[in-house]
Amino acid sequence: MKALHRRKLLTATAVLAVFGLAATAIPAQAAEVGVTSTQIKLGMTLPMTGTASLGYNKIPGAAKAYFDYLNANGGINGRKVTLVVKDDRYVPTEAVAKTNELILKDKVMALLAPLGTANVKAVASSVNPGRRGVPVLFVNTGFSGFADAKKYPTTYTVLPSYIMEAKIMGQYIKENFAGKKIGLLYQDDDFGTDALAGFKTAGINFAVKVPYASGSQSAAAAAGWITKFKAAEADVVILFGVSSATSAMLGVAAQLKYAPQWMLGSVGGDATTIKLTGVPAGVLYNAIGFSPVPATTDMKDEYVKFFSDIYAKAVPGSAFDLNVLLGMNTAFMAAQALKAAGANPTRKSLLAAIDSKGATFANSALVPAAYSKTSHVGLTGYWVGKYSPAGDLSPVGGTYVSYTTDSGAGAVVKTTYKRPAMPAKGLPN
Amino acid sequence: MKKVRILSLLSVTALVTTVLVTAPTVANAAPMCDGKSPIQSCVGVTSDGAPYAMQVPANFNGTVALYSHGYRYNVDIPAGIPLIGGYKITNTPEPVPGGNAEVAKYFFSQGIAIVGSGFARQGWNPDSAIKTNVELIDTFKKQFPKTTKVVAWGSSLGGVITQGLAEKHPELVSAVAPMCMADNVSAELTMAGDFLWGIKVLFDPTIKAGNYSAGAAGVAESYGDLVKVFTVMGKLQASLTTGAWPDTSSATGKALAAAGIPSRSALLLLGLMAGLPTQSAHFDSISGPDGALKLTFPLAISPVLAILENGTNAAALAVLATQDVENQTGGAIFDNTKTDYSARVDAERVIFNAALSGNTAIDAMLGALSAANPGAPRAAGNAAAVAKMKALHQNTGKINVPTVLMVGVADPITPAGASQRLVDLYAEQYAAEKAAARKAYQASRDYKTPTNKLLMLWNTTPSNYTKFDAAGSPITSTAAAQGTNHCNFTSAQLVLVAKSLVQASSTGKLPSGGALYTAVRKAGNLSIDKGISVPWLKAYGDN
Repeated sequence: MKALHRRKLLTATAVLAVFGLAATAIPAQAAEVGVTSTQIKLGMTLPMTGTASLGYNKIPGAAKAYFDYLNANGGINGRKVTLVVKDDRYVPTEAVAKTNELILKDKVMALLAPLGTANVKAVASSVNPGRRGVPVLFVNTGFSGFADAKKYPTTYTVLPSYIMEAKIMGQYIKENFAGKKIGLLYQDDDFGTDALAGFKTAGINFAVKVPYASGSQSAAAAAGWITKFKAAEADVVILFGVSSATSAMLGVAAQLKYAPQWMLGSVGGDATTIKLTGVPAGVLYNAIGFSPVPATTDMKDEYVKFFSDIYAKAVPGSAFDLNVLLGMNTAFMAAQALKAAGANPTRKSLLAAIDSKGATFANSALVPAAYSKTSHVGLTGYWVGKYSPAGDLSPVGGTYVSYTTDSGAGAVVKTTYKRPAMPAKGLPN
Repeated sequence: MKKVRILSLLSVTALVTTVLVTAPTVANAAPMCDGKSPIQSCVGVTSDGAPYAMQVPANFNGTVALYSHGYRYNVDIPAGIPLIGGYKITNTPEPVPGGNAEVAKYFFSQGIAIVGSGFARQGWNPDSAIKTNVELIDTFKKQFPKTTKVVAWGSSLGGVITQGLAEKHPELVSAVAPMCMADNVSAELTMAGDFLWGIKVLFDPTIKAGNYSAGAAGVAESYGDLVKVFTVMGKLQASLTTGAWPDTSSATGKALAAAGIPSRSALLLLGLMAGLPTQSAHFDSISGPDGALKLTFPLAISPVLAILENGTNAAALAVLATQDVENQTGGAIFDNTKTDYSARVDAERVIFNAALSGNTAIDAMLGALSAANPGAPRAAGNAAAVAKMKALHQNTGKINVPTVLMVGVADPITPAGASQRLVDLYAEQYAAEKAAARKAYQASRDYKTPTNKLLMLWNTTPSNYTKFDAAGSPITSTAAAQGTNHCNFTSAQLVLVAKSLVQASSTGKLPSGGALYTAVRKAGNLSIDKGISVPWLKAYGDN
């Protein structure tokens, strides 16, 4: 240690992060942070640019499309919901900086659907929304750890956990591919750790497991992966990675005419995103996929039809895909949480509203949510589908059969869940 | 991938204050004063041989600001040693931080005197330094009987000394400001020692990394370690993009290399294990050059470069401070025989997963560094020496008088967690004081809200600050970003602390409300957001 101090005045180019004065140091506030008589401000961080942004960058537009619709129809008790979006490029340290901006500079009431396990973890440890009492609604990651209400007291998941997904995949494998050699491609981080835990619980033994470090996925890497799957003579290959990994794999597989039975995890299984990378739709044909929400082409579904119509008007020409549906569904659930938080919502009342009523929020999912005073767990299952020649995911057998489970040792069971009907005009009651 | 150049690994090397004072030689004599106006200067030597300097304005109002300087090496550093060579031990008095003229000018404008010593002993010295300060306060009061209030402040190890003074002698000070405060000796040297140990067992097993011989032989060993450590860091820097391991790597390191794990991932893991910041003077772990590395650089490279910058400072501290404290205690003081490095990085492994090359690589590295691997032998401390180290002055964190803390959130030498510890402990203290007030109310029906005695000033980093040249290489010739480097404060920030001390000493209350908000904003790059929370030093999480 040394006592030298810089005497040179540095140019103050930094963000002046002097916004959150102690409650004892400022006059009492009239309302909650981010809430005025006319507005409720929410914030979102996710990759809007860069290689990881493909597909995900449609989520803010989708959420805004619903909020615009909501605002045009009276908002939340007369308050318009606004969404401030920050691009974190899928870099955890950048997510920390951008989240700090949202909380300290933009003064959002709550964070909505931040994306990525590493990013949400980085924010949790460096920005401490839990300590600040800032709600983190419906994180866009299936990492099971975020449901730990003690560790992440203000964070709520929405996607089924990766453990749940792997358990349901495992059940499907045992019922349909008994005796086959199974291969697994997975991301070599908490995302993959969850998957491995789920498959282990399901009792799946793999002929070969191929991990890839986040960020290392590429066509060259995919060629190496295929070599390993071929060597192990895998009949079924599960791609439990992000879209860029799935796309790299399927693209190279098409070139090499390598065609095992593909099984795609939901994170990397959005056909629109895959096709945008140049992968021929036909490669997806007969691949098995999983989703908690209805097929995005299912216009008989009242939620899909409703969201699709709104989105088409808000973002004409943009395909209505899984990212869009999930983004709008999340915004719809957030609106119900805000409504349930009372005439003058606060951060505390918002959290309490999800605890007490979250499990009954109307939403498009075909599986139940598990929110309660003791659980921050969102959706709890998937239905199983197959991709059509055009690359669209439809339920196996033409009818949705949904499975539900937990992130522990609980069994995988067919759910009898009855989804709530769409509220009038798609607005929170 | 473009070649990355770092022009200077060790960014803070100069130690000597700019206040030039002719050192007197007679210990414990009355101060020698020049009688000049408007500023009278006095010098003297305390009974333990610490030279001191006093500067007293003609309009002296009875308040004096006592400054404690930070760690100065306790040995001369030969000129041939890279980066820090040429240092000579000095006990030049330092009455204001770094001789900062603006700070002195502010105090004088308020009629406040300044005083500070160079301490009799350098190295880790809070025990003797606190005594020196107690004597110095008494000497000042005798020389200037008009004195009514003393405010104390200090930087780095001087922060420890300042806090220690307030804990042991709250009757002597009316307000204090430990800035960029070091943690207690054990936590501080565990941080530095963990990193140095990792460098040794992976990259150069001939590094001694503690358990130095007594006397001159030990000093020579520490010189040898400095050269080896800086050499290894240079090799790691040179092979950053290829991931090649230094030719001096241990068998354990070579096995990891053979497994395809890049050396940069191992270096980052060592930094995370030790708790070093992943933002440094020039690397924000956010920015990337335009082009193919736009995303890869912040994900995989920048955190490593940050550890390279910060770790070089930590390793130098580990060598020299460990050698010094071992000299004081009589044996090896670093002991990681029971440290669970895997638990240490549990939170960070997913955040930096890409730079660490994935879970498989992380697990392989942690396995190699585990106590079960004889190829990475743990360091065992000398029980008696460790006990003596723990008997050295330790701050409890008790806040007795109005206290201002200021620290950079990415200070690599005295991590912000040392200040966070005081913040957290004070939260408990304040809650207890409120509970006591409520209890008293039940008897008296007169509720008295306890006075807040702590103001935390966080020196934050900019949103992003890594700069790149036209070729895409990072630029490291610019000034260190705010919030990074050691005690990297502007004059405006220091003056804000000085003003806060003055106000607290005169009113008994720290600044608050709109006035504080405005003052903080004007000082620049500071935050008083109570939501900021940084981790304590890793040693506190060990079982």
